[in-house]
Amino acid sequence: MTSEQLMHEVLLSISVSAEYAKKSVLRKLTFQIKRGEILGLVGQSGCGKSTLALAVLRLLHLKGGKSFGTLQLNGLDLMSMSERQMRGIRGKEIGLVLQSPLSSLNPVLRIGTQLAEAWHAHRRGNRQECRNALLESLANVSLPPEEEFLRRYPAQLSVGQAQRVLIAMAVLHRPMLLIADEPTSALDVITQAEVLGLFRNLSRQMGVAILYITHDLLSVSTIADRIAVMHQGEIVECREARAIFTDPQHAYTRDLIAALPCVPAFPATKELYSTAIKSHAAGRG
Amino acid sequence: MKVVRAMALAFLLVLGSASLLANLLAPSTYAEQFRELPNAPPSSKHWLGTDDLGRDRFSRLLYGTRVSLLLAPVAALSSTILAALIGGVAGYLGGRIETTAMWITDLFLSLPWLFLLVAARALLPLNVSPHVSVIITFGMLGILGWAGAARVVCASSRSARDSDFALLARASGVKPARLFLRHVLPNLTPALFAQFWISIPVFILAEANLGVLGLGVAEPLPSWGSLLRELENYSAMGSQPWVFVPLLLLVAVVTCFQLVLPKTELPA
Repeated sequence: MTSEQLMHEVLLSISVSAEYAKKSVLRKLTFQIKRGEILGLVGQSGCGKSTLALAVLRLLHLKGGKSFGTLQLNGLDLMSMSERQMRGIRGKEIGLVLQSPLSSLNPVLRIGTQLAEAWHAHRRGNRQECRNALLESLANVSLPPEEEFLRRYPAQLSVGQAQRVLIAMAVLHRPMLLIADEPTSALDVITQAEVLGLFRNLSRQMGVAILYITHDLLSVSTIADRIAVMHQGEIVECREARAIFTDPQHAYTRDLIAALPCVPAFPATKELYSTAIKSHAAGRG
Repeated sequence: MKVVRAMALAFLLVLGSASLLANLLAPSTYAEQFRELPNAPPSSKHWLGTDDLGRDRFSRLLYGTRVSLLLAPVAALSSTILAALIGGVAGYLGGRIETTAMWITDLFLSLPWLFLLVAARALLPLNVSPHVSVIITFGMLGILGWAGAARVVCASSRSARDSDFALLARASGVKPARLFLRHVLPNLTPALFAQFWISIPVFILAEANLGVLGLGVAEPLPSWGSLLRELENYSAMGSQPWVFVPLLLLVAVVTCFQLVLPKTELPA
């Protein structure tokens, strides 16, 4: 592969630092995401994962922080863009899924209204076009594509349904990049598995690249092509998902793997995890 | 508690309807004088007697209720809209705009409320027609009564601005003005409704205070404030207990407004 092809393959190139009130949170954090790739970003709570998500969207100022460095999406320099230009990128080229599904949806607005707001942010069209787009987006995330569902309020949804609505909103304009900030941390294990499968399908069907931020190394390893391990505001290791488990290079990565839960009655659980990951990687290959 | 709320609401509805139908229900107009019967005691013709000018007290009470009970909500609505604009926008924009708006709000709140009303009313023309005096009185209440509500609305607006759903709307590319109108403002509705509702009895009492001081609605148009002026005549109070009826009605109405609003949750 030539260097030009490689450059063309890179969707997002990041090298950013961020701080809150002069306290450094991200320290020249550098990595790249290829088109259609799922990159898992793993680290413990407070290491700056969510800060990174907001920094990519240039929304960190809303939380009282500021970021600097370089951010290139599909060859566009996001850092030099005006706020108006960034609004054209947010939601259209970069989608965001937040951690808490129910608090991320406006409690006093119907699901249809919230999705329509996201649609109208980047499209002009009549009511019917909007309605069709919304129903299609619901079908994309395995929600019932029905008018009745659009008329519901967030309080009338289960947590899993609410998370799917958020994903539907994030992929409404078929963005190039989807940032998922701990999207399964509030879900039970079965719903978690369904949502993970949904992300994998969206990546395959739409070709959307996903930056999957989580503290759960195990769950992300089931869908990620590569995993970046983050520690104290820096990427300490970024490799293929399989290699992270079979040949961890950094001490912090080894600590993360060692801390994975193990079923007491079945001490070989970790070996099973390893086998599952290997077979999954083989399946993707 | 639901029964009490229902009863309070029913009382307000009946009273409001009666005042609206004053033209049909009142035995005479509010200004009609029965000169041969000044200060008459209650009778079958004059249920609450007549005042010292011979006007039927019951008729004046019905018309006065119309003025107070229907215009206080209009004043409350005006002050709530002002509170939504000042507090809502300040809380949403934050920064120096919020600091300045809240500084002005604090200044308003620190002023003695009754003194401010009396001073403001005294500055405005006193020799005006009764209907103009109604507009001045309730307009002034609406314009001066926004500060307390603005503080509450500002806090709600700030909370909505910093919420996850507002963050997600921004991340979806929604423009700031649309974000305020379509996402933040609907979340202020419960606080705005509560502020509107609790302002009504406050404004009714404020109008009554101005009326007692002779700064409210001008004669001969009655309001609860002007009807309460009769209580200035201490010597007659013992022998004419029926002059207390406007006061009792005022207390009942203010209490009912407080009872109707749920105490544990805000209406959506």
